[in-house]
Amino acid sequence: MISAFGSVHPARRAVLLGAYVLLVEWSRALIQKEPHMAVAGLVLGGAALVLVAAGWPADRLGLGTSRLGLRILGGLALGAVLLLPAAARSAAVPMLPAGLAVAAVAVSVGEELAFRGALYAALEELGGAPLAIVGTTALWTAAHALSHPPAFLEAVAAAGLLLALWRWACRDLVGPVIGHVIADLSL
Amino acid sequence: MRRAALLAAAAATYAVAAWMVAPGFYDGFGPPQPYNWTCPPPQAGANLKPSSGHQDIKVLGGVSDANSAFTEDGQVVIGFLPGAFDVTGKTVISVDIVPLPTCPQPAGIRFVTNVYQITANAPLLKPANLVLRYSNLEPDPSDVYFATDPAGSWKSIGRAQTAQPFTVDTSTREFGYFAAGYPSASPPPGAVQIGGGQTLPIVVAILIALVVVAGIPLALRRRRGVSTEDKDGPEDV
Repeated sequence: MISAFGSVHPARRAVLLGAYVLLVEWSRALIQKEPHMAVAGLVLGGAALVLVAAGWPADRLGLGTSRLGLRILGGLALGAVLLLPAAARSAAVPMLPAGLAVAAVAVSVGEELAFRGALYAALEELGGAPLAIVGTTALWTAAHALSHPPAFLEAVAAAGLLLALWRWACRDLVGPVIGHVIADLSL
Repeated sequence: MRRAALLAAAAATYAVAAWMVAPGFYDGFGPPQPYNWTCPPPQAGANLKPSSGHQDIKVLGGVSDANSAFTEDGQVVIGFLPGAFDVTGKTVISVDIVPLPTCPQPAGIRFVTNVYQITANAPLLKPANLVLRYSNLEPDPSDVYFATDPAGSWKSIGRAQTAQPFTVDTSTREFGYFAAGYPSASPPPGAVQIGGGQTLPIVVAILIALVVVAGIPLALRRRRGVSTEDKDGPEDV
């Protein structure tokens, strides 16, 4: 996809990427509300989000393989942090039916590649790390506005901020992908 | 150090924000809105009373119209086909859905929803389609249960293929009391599940253990300078 935007001004590219990601996420949320379309909406939405990362160099997305052990370890740690509040409630945990597991993986990988991957890279190129962190967190929160009750959006925003800060602090996307997948599978 | 401090602050902010809402807010798997409980479980947080519902169904040409009755909070929807009712002597069919103010737990059954009484002023001729929403704080129910008296015996009326997550569908040919649940003598249905239930604290404990166990040798290797510097690799935080 970057090849299609290769000659586009960074600001225009960031706006186009942001609009596309929001469109996919909101469409996914609406599709999921139709009977029997929840899994299809998640899988198709995840696939559409993965497309955003197509053409970007792996290192620009934070997907380098150096120090892979640390990256994976970071992902496990992020997963633990994301799940800790629910785990601390003991029996207060929801359950994800096994049939949704594939969909959970698809959408969480797609979201990370789109938000903390391509969108982060585009915004960082445009305005540096502060814009990338704030911008991806804001778009991430807006993207979940149709699929989540308003009361949940503060927690969604906080999760987005944590993952974006990790992306900035560690220059790594492997950790957020693993952490997000673990969280989606477990809740 | 500044990066580590920012990450720690973000993790703390997340923990506080996540603690304020019921778990399960990732990627739209949760129900569209919190469940309104008659008897809220301790972990439910703020709770609204469940709503009741009423519907008047027209009788046109001696046949009851197709229509649905539902509670205002959408936790129960019952749909009727044309001619679903015996309309003898009726010009309008009134359907009422009322949540039971108590929470019976009959022997051998574990309910995961409120109990609802559904009544009408005419008997059914055709099966009605019943949809109950349930909370993501409870296991997936295996059946919808029916009783003519909530203190009496309950029987399973099965469940159809679920149309949406966190809803259970079935059909009924009579009115009475309805709730979704599972046989309490067996493990919760869908027990082959990922996460949730009592397993979540174990999952988190395993994750922490993995991070600690794997992190120590990695840290030692780095301290000894075995690791090579790499510009695109993750930075120390």
